[in-house]
Order: sequence, then structure tokens, then C-alpha cells
Amino acid sequence: MTSAPLSLPLRQRRQRKFASIFVTAGLVVGLCFVLLPVFWLVETALQKPANAFAIPPHFFFVPTGENFTNVIHSQFAGTLVHSAILMVMSTVVALVLGVPAAYAMTRSRFRGSRAMSVWLIGAYITPALVYIVPLYVIYQRLGLIGSYVGMMLYYETFQLPFTIFMMRAYFSDIPREFDESAWVDGCSKLRTFRSVILPLVLPGVATVTILDAISSWGEYFGALIFSSSNTETAPVAIYQYVGLEVSDWSEMAAAALFIVVPIMILTAIAQRGLMRGLMSGGLVG
Amino acid sequence: MVRSSAATPGQAAEGPGREAARALMAQGRRSAPVPRPTARFRNAIEKRFFVLMSAPGFIVVAAVTFIPICAGIYLSFTNYMPTDPSLKFAGLLNYRQLLHDSEAHQAIINTLVFAGAGLAIEMILGVSLALMLARPMRGIRVFRTLFILPLMVAGIASAIAWRSLLNTSMGWGNYFLSVIGLPQPNWLASPHTAMASVLLADVWSGAPTVAIIVLAGLLVVPKEPVEAACIDGASSFQIFWHITLPALQPVLAFAAIFRLVDLFRNIALFQIMTGGGPGLSTSVLNFFVYQTTFVYGELGYGAALAVVLVVLMAIPLLIVFRFARRRS
Repeated sequence: MTSAPLSLPLRQRRQRKFASIFVTAGLVVGLCFVLLPVFWLVETALQKPANAFAIPPHFFFVPTGENFTNVIHSQFAGTLVHSAILMVMSTVVALVLGVPAAYAMTRSRFRGSRAMSVWLIGAYITPALVYIVPLYVIYQRLGLIGSYVGMMLYYETFQLPFTIFMMRAYFSDIPREFDESAWVDGCSKLRTFRSVILPLVLPGVATVTILDAISSWGEYFGALIFSSSNTETAPVAIYQYVGLEVSDWSEMAAAALFIVVPIMILTAIAQRGLMRGLMSGGLVG
Repeated sequence: MVRSSAATPGQAAEGPGREAARALMAQGRRSAPVPRPTARFRNAIEKRFFVLMSAPGFIVVAAVTFIPICAGIYLSFTNYMPTDPSLKFAGLLNYRQLLHDSEAHQAIINTLVFAGAGLAIEMILGVSLALMLARPMRGIRVFRTLFILPLMVAGIASAIAWRSLLNTSMGWGNYFLSVIGLPQPNWLASPHTAMASVLLADVWSGAPTVAIIVLAGLLVVPKEPVEAACIDGASSFQIFWHITLPALQPVLAFAAIFRLVDLFRNIALFQIMTGGGPGLSTSVLNFFVYQTTFVYGELGYGAALAVVLVVLMAIPLLIVFRFARRRS
């Protein structure tokens, strides 16, 4: 829908103007709905605890940082550290294993490679519980409940297929001629990968890293089941505020912002790649 | 690797490496690989390079996904409980129990209602939103950026926010309704509105997700047919229905799959907002499996329910996949 050609009859141009107003109104209404929970989180987190559930809400108030300092000095700070440790561990493992595998998948056809790509999609979309229930039994026997390793292995059920899948799209954008000319020049395959191809897909790697980090940081259910007090992650810890019912809404909102804000920063960094990634994932499937 | 060409005599004299080196020298190349004792090893690596590159990744994928799935299927045929952790084969016990478990039946119905209604609402709202966001207007970029916001808010945080917003006496939702003089429902506390409340929270993130995916598709749809139809006097709706929509089909299918998967496995919303209640009104299968397994400790039965969940989810997904394949 490009700008109206001049040849359009007046009626149609008037219609367009009307449509424009209609669309803007629709977008504004939609935006209010979309911003409501985010606004609530910010407003409540900056509110004095006693005013958090005042009805009518206090929209005009002097913001306080009290809730954030309280959260930082509570046990919640520790759970943020646990989340960060897990995020780094699981993302590094997913990248170290996934990026080479994705490269190999785009550069050679081997028996079962088709089955493997179907399996990757299937593995990624399988509901978490399908893994969590049996893994719980397996972990009990292996003593992995409450350990970072156990949680990380569970995170790989979605991170690793996702990483391979996304990176495959980035690698297939690079023509095979790049590899072949490097081989002809006497590069070993490893060197070709490391010094020729990998630098070309670094933007893709960066995007996938951020998406992996986000999925690990916000993961809730696996952590709820597999973590112990020493490895409890922030999303699980926040659930305990819910248990308190209404007594601490403002602190709960502040804690929630500690989870949300890092993701927003990461997404802002990766915004361009994010769109592309979503689409390439779709087109390959 | 580029190495010095000072070959010591007595080293592995002939081999593919040497031949390659000769060939390269014949072409007048400056440097050529020269075999060393490790040459054979190197060659072996070189030959199986892609297998070696992919093996660790594939082995771990298989280990973390294939093993649990197989274990889960086996588990569904046992009567495993923390108090009685025997992995003895119990036949179809759990599946027979499933036939008579009215709570499980309710959970299946709730799942289908939630996924079906959620998908329909999110696709319609999402596509409308995408059409609006695709218009070249002043400031549209700001709108596009702001509508991505729900995608960034972790599920747990949005569940908390919605739970509080929809609190009957202290939530903003009812406050706003009272300001404009509308009836204030009990939201999460009433079995009639609890499911709708969870749906509302899901649509909040789902519709923008669909919109962003469809928008990306809309922006690359060729403009010529649209302009031609416009000049021929087609109405906006006709253009949308006959030109834009068919061109968007693969993107729509992708968005639908993306959402369906999420709708079937959503759990944070249910656990935080309703806990499956009141009564069984929001007990979806995913949440029911969680309760059965980790609250009541019936792991074997939980595994059987998880198998049912996968089958239930696979059917609509396969239909959408088919739909996407046939036309594109």
C-alpha cells in the first residue's frame, strides 16, 4: 500500500484519509493494552509498598528506589547470580556444540541428515514436560537434581536444536565457493571454517547467542523442578513472592523488572538480527 | 596449514598428501603441505571433518532429547512413584486409568479450548495489527518498536503482572472498568471467567508475536499486483483477500505453528495466575501433568499423560504443516 497516486478519484483519497485515522486509533488502543502490564510493573516497583495496591491507583507519586534496594539485599540477588551462571553455561555449550554441527550440516550431505533436521524441529517444539518428567527420574538416579549440570542438560533440549537450526540458516547464506576456494589454496577444512567462514557468520552467532541467553534467562518450568536452594534461578524465586499474596506487590514487581530489563537490553542490541532470525527459522521449516 | 617445505628424508614418502603437494607444485604454487608423521592423522581428520564437526552436537542432541523421550514412553508403562520407585513394566495400566479419569478428560477439553480459542484470537488480532503496522504512516516505526515489547517480557513477569491487574478488588482492570461504568467480573476467581482471563494474558504476548512475523512477510510481498488491482478499482478487502492473503500463506502457517506450540506448552500463566482453578476450570493438560507428576508424585501416570499431550499437539501441527506445504 504505497502513497496514493494522484490519479485516484477524490472519493478514494478521502477514504484513505478516513482509514488512516481509523488505523491510528486502532494502534493506540492496541498499544494501551500492550503497555498496560509493563506500565503496571514499573509503576508498582517505584511505589511505596503500602501504596502498591491502592484503589484508585496513585498515578502521581514520588518514585522510590526502596523496593529495588530491598530486592538486591534479599535472597533474590543470589538467584540472579544462579540465573546468570546457568545462562552462560548453557549458552556456551549450545554454541560450542551447535555452531560446528550447523556448519557441517550445510556443507555435507550424509546419511540421516534429513532425518536429523526433522528431529531438530520435533525436539524443539516438544513440550517441556515431555522431557522434564523422565529426566526427573533419570536425574534422581544419577544424583543430578539441584545441580547446574542437570539443569544445563535440560536447557540444551531447546537451546541446542534452536542453535543448530538458526546457525544452519546463516551458514547456508554463504556460498560453497568460499569454502572451495580456501581448500584449493591449501587451507585445511578446520582452518577454512575458523578463518574464512566463521568470521562471515559472526553477526549470526551474535544474534543466536543473545536469543539463547534470553531463553535460558527467562526459563521457568525446568528450573522450578530441577533446581535446589543452591541453584534456584530468579524466575523460580519470584514465584515465592506470589505465594505471599498481596503483602509485597511492589517488591515482587521490582524483582520482576530485574528479570525483564536485562532481556530488553539484549533484545535492543539484537533487534535487527531478531527479525531475520525469526523469518529464516520459518523459511527453513 | 602452510608449513616450511624442508622435508626430511625418510618421512612417510608417498601418500595422498604428497601427491597433492606435487600437483600443487606443478601448478606453480609457492607453498605446499608436506607430510609429517602426523600427516596420516591429519588426513583422516580431513576426510571425516564434517562428521567430526557434527558428531558432538548431534550426540548431545540425541542424548538430551531422544533418551528422555524413550525413557518417558517406557515410564508411561510403569507405575513409578517416589514411594515405590520400581521400573517394573505395568502394561497399559496408566492408559486404562486415563480412560476413566474425568479430571484428565476435562484437562484435555480445556487444552483444546485454550489452544483453539487462543490461536483464532491471536491470528485474527495479529494479522489485523500487522496490516495496520505495514501502512506507511508517520511515526509507524515507533509503533512497530513498541509492539515488540511483549515479546521481551519473560512469561513469568507477564503472568505476575496480569495476575495483579486482574485481581478482583485491588487490580487495575476492575478499577478501569468501574471508572467507565462497566460491570466488573471476578476474573481469576470465577470458573466462568478464569479461562478467558488466562487467554487475555496469552493474547497479550501472542497477538504481537503473530503481528511481527506477519509484518515481516507483508513488507516483502510484491507491490505490483496490489497496485494493479488498486487501479482496476478493487476494494481494499478484495485486495487483501485475493492478493495479500494468498501471498502470506507460508508466513501465516509459520506463525500458526509458532503459536500453537506455545499455546500447548504454556504453563507459567496457569501456575501463577490460576493454579488450574477455580475447580478444574483452567486445568489444561500441561498443568495437569505437572500436578499429577510433581504434586501427587504419580510419575508413571504423568508420563502417560505427557504422551497424550504430544499426540494431541501433533494433530493440529501436522494439519498446519500440510496446509503450508500444499500451496507453497
